[in-house]
Amino acid sequence: MADVQTTNQSILVVGGGMSGITAALEAAEAGYEVVLVEKNPYLGGRVTQLYQYFPKLCPPNCGLEINFRRMRQNPKVRFFTMAEVAGISGQEGDYDVTVKLSPRYVNEKCTCCGKCTEVCEVEIDNPFNYGMDKIKAAYLPHEFAFPMRYVLDPSIAGTDEGKKCLDVCEYGAIDLEMEETSFDLKVGAIVWAAGWDPFDAAKVDYYGFGEYKNVITNVMMERMAAPSGPTEGKILRPSDKKEPKNIAFIQCAGSRDENYLPYCSGICCLASLKHTTYVRELYPDCDVTIFFIDIRALDRLEDFYTKVQEDEKVVFIKSKIANITEDEETGGLLLEGENTRTGEQILMNFDMVVLATGMVPNKIEIDAAPDVSYDEYGFLINDPEKTGIYGAGCVRRPTDVASSVQDATAGALKAIQSIARR
Amino acid sequence: MENMVNYNPSFAEEVFRDVDSGDEIKMCMNCGVCAGSCPLREHMDYPPRQIFGLIRAGKREAVLSSKAIMLCTSCYTCVVKCPRDIPVMDVMHGLAHYALKQGYVPRKDTANFGKEFWNQVYKLGRIDEKDLPRRVFFAGGFVEGIKAMLNFMDIGLKLMLHRRMKLLPERKIKGVKLLQKMLDKAEGLGKGGIAA
Ligand SMILES: Cc1cc2nc3c(=O)[nH]c(=O)nc-3n(C[C@H](O)[C@H](O)[C@H](O)COP(=O)(O)OP(=O)(O)OC[C@H]3O[C@@H](n4cnc5c(N)ncnc54)[C@H](O)[C@@H]3O)c2cc1C
Ligand code: SF4
Ligand code: SF4
Ligand code: SF4
Ligand code: SF4
Repeated sequence: MADVQTTNQSILVVGGGMSGITAALEAAEAGYEVVLVEKNPYLGGRVTQLYQYFPKLCPPNCGLEINFRRMRQNPKVRFFTMAEVAGISGQEGDYDVTVKLSPRYVNEKCTCCGKCTEVCEVEIDNPFNYGMDKIKAAYLPHEFAFPMRYVLDPSIAGTDEGKKCLDVCEYGAIDLEMEETSFDLKVGAIVWAAGWDPFDAAKVDYYGFGEYKNVITNVMMERMAAPSGPTEGKILRPSDKKEPKNIAFIQCAGSRDENYLPYCSGICCLASLKHTTYVRELYPDCDVTIFFIDIRALDRLEDFYTKVQEDEKVVFIKSKIANITEDEETGGLLLEGENTRTGEQILMNFDMVVLATGMVPNKIEIDAAPDVSYDEYGFLINDPEKTGIYGAGCVRRPTDVASSVQDATAGALKAIQSIARR
Repeated sequence: MENMVNYNPSFAEEVFRDVDSGDEIKMCMNCGVCAGSCPLREHMDYPPRQIFGLIRAGKREAVLSSKAIMLCTSCYTCVVKCPRDIPVMDVMHGLAHYALKQGYVPRKDTANFGKEFWNQVYKLGRIDEKDLPRRVFFAGGFVEGIKAMLNFMDIGLKLMLHRRMKLLPERKIKGVKLLQKMLDKAEGLGKGGIAA
């Protein structure tokens, strides 16, 4: 059970991605007591799953590490992983919150020696790599995980497999008796920073995602390119693990489309441009074709676009691809569409296709939670009529890390104002 | 398609005002999905997106005398896929109807083509691209052709609703979801959507 003492002067932050971490730290550094609740076994959110950051193409860990250090040094922030908010009641300045903790089966004594992984024989789909590979059911979520601590999958907790892990652990770090627990908090304001989920590309059935092996999504591409990913940093065709000779990117896959996500997710053009640099660095002979409606690279990010355009192995074709058909023998993919600049029909073959899918905001889905406002697409609005709960980052609009961080700072200030108003 | 044109809004205004569903094309974002997925695109002089582009460019003659607007066989592919929810097919029918009213007479082969398309769908459940052009030259006059076409459309729709007809020529439909969506939309639009 968590011993957390909070008052109506405290702030709750939900979601431990870049937005939530920023909001928590900004409020704590302004002197407020903050509780951060994250449902994954680690902090950092989706950013931890990226290989590199645009536009500088640096690894995301540096930025995260700085924030984790700020967190460790600041006693005013308490954070909980594998935690979710189960209930919120009350109003601005006076909320009662119930937090639910899922069992991790590993306590703070874990030294990350890895012995439990060695003995464990059960494997589960690896959520960190979007199910592209398997991991042992006793695992470290990823190599830079914060907190650096193993997890046991609930599926082995009550089994002999769990027992094996318990027996091998020399540090008394495994506790198979752990159960779901919950605790209550009092807070004056809430920052909702639960981020986004990748759009489910299988919904656009004429692109064949889920059916055609060599059609992947942009978030999968990030994992493939990462040395810690399922292919150890090699971008390979899932069907035969061969190096692709030509790759297509389909922009707005399910985005700007009344049938799916009507809005522009703002970052997927940049993500594909970034992925193009991953591919081109790895395979100097690989051709890349980017099919787009229009490329959205705003402000200084346009320089990055210009740079990628200079690569003669990269071709940009103005067209929203209308259909993909798979050659069942070779795993090759036939793309159909219309080149809207020339009016010519497109019939082109590729080894591999990357769908540039968008972001779907994680709304507040808690029974009987106080009312908040959303726009027509499900993004949280900081409604001046409904103060006390504020969105921060990608729950408010699909955007990059820099803008999320700015927005989270604004969210922290609003939360502080809610407390000051009382 | 001609790319360099002087912008002339007068024809576009005429279409928005006088053509059934004509104002829907204001929402078109020029993505090319309709033109890239229309099963008749190879037989069309201008696939749907290009028709809309020509309207914006003021090319009245090219649009109203085009083969494309007469060829549309109401397969719903473009309606289901258009990211802007434009009833592309209705606009094509609206334009065909308007062209007829304005005294444009479609070439005989065009009308026959439409009829034969549905004939084949009815009989074979798919389109035989090689056989189609040969048969097009048989059928009777234009009015007959249009009538027959509409009749066949009704049958086609009923078949669709009973899910016995494979709609997209020679290409397998991926998942039933798209088909179901098409059927839902077809049901919603009913025959009203077809009779321009
Ligand atoms: C393919 C791709 C590539 C990208 N590349 C870049 C890039 O190079 N540079 C860049 O700046 N941006 C990039 N982005 C955008 C970047 O991922 C986002 O800006 C960033 O993730 C936003 O952070 P966030 O904290 O708002 O959301 P998230 O990263 O989604 O974090 C939200 C956190 O909340 C947690 N959570 C969710 N629901 C709950 C709940 N109910 N209770 C508790 N916790 C919850 C989640 O587990 C997660 O940890 C990319 C996006 C995509 C799709
Ligand atoms: S739980 Fe125990 S065995 Fe597993 S990594 Fe931690 S300390 Fe090692
Ligand atoms: S950012 Fe680019 S790919 Fe993403 S929705 Fe917007 S235009 Fe489409
Ligand atoms: S699919 Fe719709 S938006 Fe795209 S070009 Fe055709 S009519 Fe315009
Ligand atoms: S409804 Fe007409 S325009 Fe649309 S795809 Fe079918 S034949 Fe082509």
